[in-house]
Amino acid sequence: MPRTRTRLLPGAALAAGLLAATAGCAQTAEGPEAADGGILVYASGDAEPTCLDPHVGGNYPQALAATQFLESLVSRDASGEIIPWLAESWKVSGDGLSWEFELRDGIEFTDGTPFDAEAVKTNIEHLQDPETASSTGYLAVAKVASVEAVDAGTARFHLSAPDSALLESLAQPWTAIQSPAGIARGTDANCLAPIGTGPFVVEDWVKQDRIVFTRNDDYASAPADAGHDGPAYLAGIEWRFIADAATRYAALQAGEVDIIDNAQPDTIAQADEAAGIVELDAPRPGASNRIEFNGGQAPFDDVRVREAFVRAVDVDAAIAGLFFDTAARSSSPLSSAEPLAYGDASLFEVDPEAAGRLLDEAGWTDRDDDGTRMKDGARLELRFPVSTNQSVAAEQSLFEQLAAGAKTVGFDVRIELMDLSSWYAALAANEYELVSAPYTKVGPDVLRIVYHSDSTAPAPSGYFANLAQVRDPEIDAALDAASASQGPDERAALYEQVQQRLLANYRLLPIYDQQNHFLHRAELTGVRAMPTVSTPTFLDAKLAG
Amino acid sequence: MTALAVPTGSGGLRARRGRLGLRVLARAGGAVFVLWAVVTITFFAVRLVPGDPALAILGGPGSQAGPEALALVRAEHGLDRPLGEQYLAALVRLAGGDLGTSYALRMPVGDVIAAQLGGTLLLAVLALAAGWAIALGLALFSTQGGRFAAAVGGAIETVAAALPQFWLAAVLIALFSTGLGWLPPVSTGTAAGLVLPVLTLAIPVAGFLAQVMRTSLLDALASPFALSARARGESGLGVRIRHGIRHAAVAGVDLSAWAFGYLVSGAVVVETVFARPGLGRSLVQAVTGRDVPLVTGIVIVVALAYILITILADAVSLVLDPRLRSEPAG
Repeated sequence: MPRTRTRLLPGAALAAGLLAATAGCAQTAEGPEAADGGILVYASGDAEPTCLDPHVGGNYPQALAATQFLESLVSRDASGEIIPWLAESWKVSGDGLSWEFELRDGIEFTDGTPFDAEAVKTNIEHLQDPETASSTGYLAVAKVASVEAVDAGTARFHLSAPDSALLESLAQPWTAIQSPAGIARGTDANCLAPIGTGPFVVEDWVKQDRIVFTRNDDYASAPADAGHDGPAYLAGIEWRFIADAATRYAALQAGEVDIIDNAQPDTIAQADEAAGIVELDAPRPGASNRIEFNGGQAPFDDVRVREAFVRAVDVDAAIAGLFFDTAARSSSPLSSAEPLAYGDASLFEVDPEAAGRLLDEAGWTDRDDDGTRMKDGARLELRFPVSTNQSVAAEQSLFEQLAAGAKTVGFDVRIELMDLSSWYAALAANEYELVSAPYTKVGPDVLRIVYHSDSTAPAPSGYFANLAQVRDPEIDAALDAASASQGPDERAALYEQVQQRLLANYRLLPIYDQQNHFLHRAELTGVRAMPTVSTPTFLDAKLAG
Repeated sequence: MTALAVPTGSGGLRARRGRLGLRVLARAGGAVFVLWAVVTITFFAVRLVPGDPALAILGGPGSQAGPEALALVRAEHGLDRPLGEQYLAALVRLAGGDLGTSYALRMPVGDVIAAQLGGTLLLAVLALAAGWAIALGLALFSTQGGRFAAAVGGAIETVAAALPQFWLAAVLIALFSTGLGWLPPVSTGTAAGLVLPVLTLAIPVAGFLAQVMRTSLLDALASPFALSARARGESGLGVRIRHGIRHAAVAGVDLSAWAFGYLVSGAVVVETVFARPGLGRSLVQAVTGRDVPLVTGIVIVVALAYILITILADAVSLVLDPRLRSEPAG
C-alpha cells in the first residue's frame, strides 16, 4: 500500500508545510516533485459509498470516487456544451430514435480489455438489469431500448422514444463505461474495485477507512477539455472519510490532507484569510436547492397561500447572515451551472403586508392565541421534515430563520430534523407541507423528473420525485415536447416556458445552488471540477513543496 | 475466574465450591438473558423507527430507486417477510453464531467487527490506563493535606467529569493541532494520532475515578494503620502511596467496569470526530443506514465485552482486597 508523504515524515512534512505557507514564496519546483508525483490525500465529508460501481444505486459519493477511475462516452465543457470523451462523434436519426456513436480507437480498460461497441452494449444492459439495482443510471437510460454493436468502433442506440437529454444523461458518472470483464465478476467483486479507463485505478478499499487509487500509467483517453494528454502527474490518491467538518478542516490546516470537500460556510470564510488554502466553488448541476410547497393538499393547494409564504420570508437576509457570502441567491428551479436556467427575482420580493392580504383573501382570517392563522377551525400549520444527512447546520439555521419570518404573518412552521430513512418515510407518507430535496442531474431534463405529473406516482417504495406534487397539463405537455425535440432553440424555449410557469404559480421557492465547495492547499495545483456533475478531477493536478 | 476466586478462609471448602458453581451458573444465565434482551431491543428499536431499510440500502441523496431494484433488495435481505418472522430468523441465525451480512458494507458482520474491534479496544484500554494515571495523580495531589490542594483537586475532578466529549475533542484539536501543531487532528496510523482521541476519552473518566479514589484515600488515611505509620515517622506522601493507594485502587477497579461502558459509548463520538476506524464509527454509520445486522452485531459484541469486564473487575477486587475473599460468596 502506498504511503503518504505526511505519514512517512509527519513532523517534517508539517513543518515544511507551515514554513512554505508562512514564507509565501514556496518555489514552484515542478521538476523532480512533479515527476515524482506524490500521493494526494483527499478527505471526503460525504458518506462512504456502499459500492464503488456507480451503476449500483447511484448517488453523489459514488460519483465523487468514480470520477477518479471511470470515464463516460461524452462530457460537458465549462459553457455547458457536450464534448467528445470515449465517444469521438455521434449523430442522431431524423426521428430521434436512433443514435450512432463513433468510439475512440485504441483505448483499453485497465485490465487490458479493449474498449469497443460491445463494451458499451454490456454497460447499458448492466444498468438496465434489475439485479444491478441501479437507480440514477437506470432512470438516465430509461428510453434506451437496446444497443447494437455495428462494428467494434460504432455503437448504435435504439430508443423507445426520442430523448433530447440522452447525451447529458450519458455524460454523468452514473452511466460511465466499465470493463465488461470487470462487470462479469458479479456485483460483490465489481463493487470493491470497478475497472475503467480512467487516470487512476482502484488499488485497495479498506472499508470504513480509506480507498487507495494508483496512477494508470497507460492512460490515454483524456476528455477534450483536459489540460494535458497522457497519464496523471500524481502517483496516486489516498481517499479518506472524515465525517466531522471541523476535523476535516483541521486536518487540511495541519497538512495531513491536501483537499477536502463539503467545506462549510464558516470555514470557507475563514480560509479566505488563512494563508495557503484555496477554495474551489463548483455548484452541482440539475436542480437548484429549493423549498417546495406540497401543492397536493391543503393549505398549499391554494396559490395565494404559496405566494403568501414566499412574500413573508426574507431568504436574502438569511443567506447573507448564515453563509458569509459563500452562497449566491438563486431565483431559478435550475442550477446556475445549467445554461438554460431561467429566473425571475421580482417574484420573490419580500412583502409581509401583501402576504397578510393574500392569506386574508384565501380565508385564513382568524388567529389563535399564539398568532397562528386559522380557517374553519384548522391552524395554518406547516410540517417541514429536514434530512440531517442532506442539510448542513447552516442550512438548518436558514430554515429556522425563514420559519421565524413566516410566523410574523401567521404561519406555524414545524421543522422536524430526521435521518435520511425517516425523511424518505415522511415524504412517502405525504406528511409534509414544505420540503427541500436536492436533485443532481446533467441538463435541464431534471425538470421532467421533478415536475412532470408522472413523477407524482409513487414507486413501490412510496418515494416520488415530484415532491411539489405539480399536476399541470401545460407543464407536462411542454416537458414532453422538450424531451422529444431535436432543435436546441425549441428545446430552450420550452424549458424556459416550464420554469416561468413553475415560478409564476409559486410552486417552489429557489434558495441557492446545491452547495459544493472544496478547499485545498495552495501547493496543490491543476485541480478542476468536471463540468458534468462538478466532481473534482486530479488528472492535471500537481503537488509542489 | 474460579482460579481467582479460590477461597482461602478456613473450613467449608466443599460448600464454598458449591456456592461458587451456582454463582458461575447464575452469571452465565444472566449473561445469556442480557444478550437476548439486547438483541431483541436492538432489533425492534432499529426496525420500528420510520424508514425502510431497502430504501436506505439503495437510496442516497438525490437518487431514486427503481421499483424492481427495491423488490429485489427486499427479497435478498428477507425484508418482505413479516417482522416477527424476521426476528425469529435473526434469533436462530445469531444462536448459531452467525452474525449475518451487513447491508451497507456487503461483508459478513463478523468480519467487519473483527476488523474494527482492535482499534476500539486499543482506544478503550489506553484511555482507561491514562484515566487511571491521571486520576491517581489527582487523588494523591488533592489529599496531600492542604486545603488549597483539596479545593483545586476537587474542582478539577468535577469539571473534568462534566466535560462533553465532542467539546473536549474540539478544544484539544484547536489547541494541540491547529494552534501548536504538535499532534495530528486525525488518525494517521501512528502513535501520535492516538494521543488526542485517548485524552478526549480519558479526561472525563479520570474526573470520575479521581472523585471516588480521593474519598477512599481520605478514609484510609484516617484509619488507625495510617496513623501508626505516620507515628513511625513515615512521610505524608509515603503513607499515602504505601497504605492509601490500595484502597483507592479497589474503589477505582469497582468503577472501571462502568468506565469501560462509558469509554465504548464515548468511542462513538471520538471515532467520528477524529476519523478513526472502529466499532463506534461503524455503529453510527450502521444506525443511520438502517443496517440492522451490523447494529445488532456491534451491540452484541459490546454487551459481551461489558459482561466480561464486569467479571474481570470483580476478580481483580478479590485479589486487591482480601476482606472480600473471606466474606461468604453470593
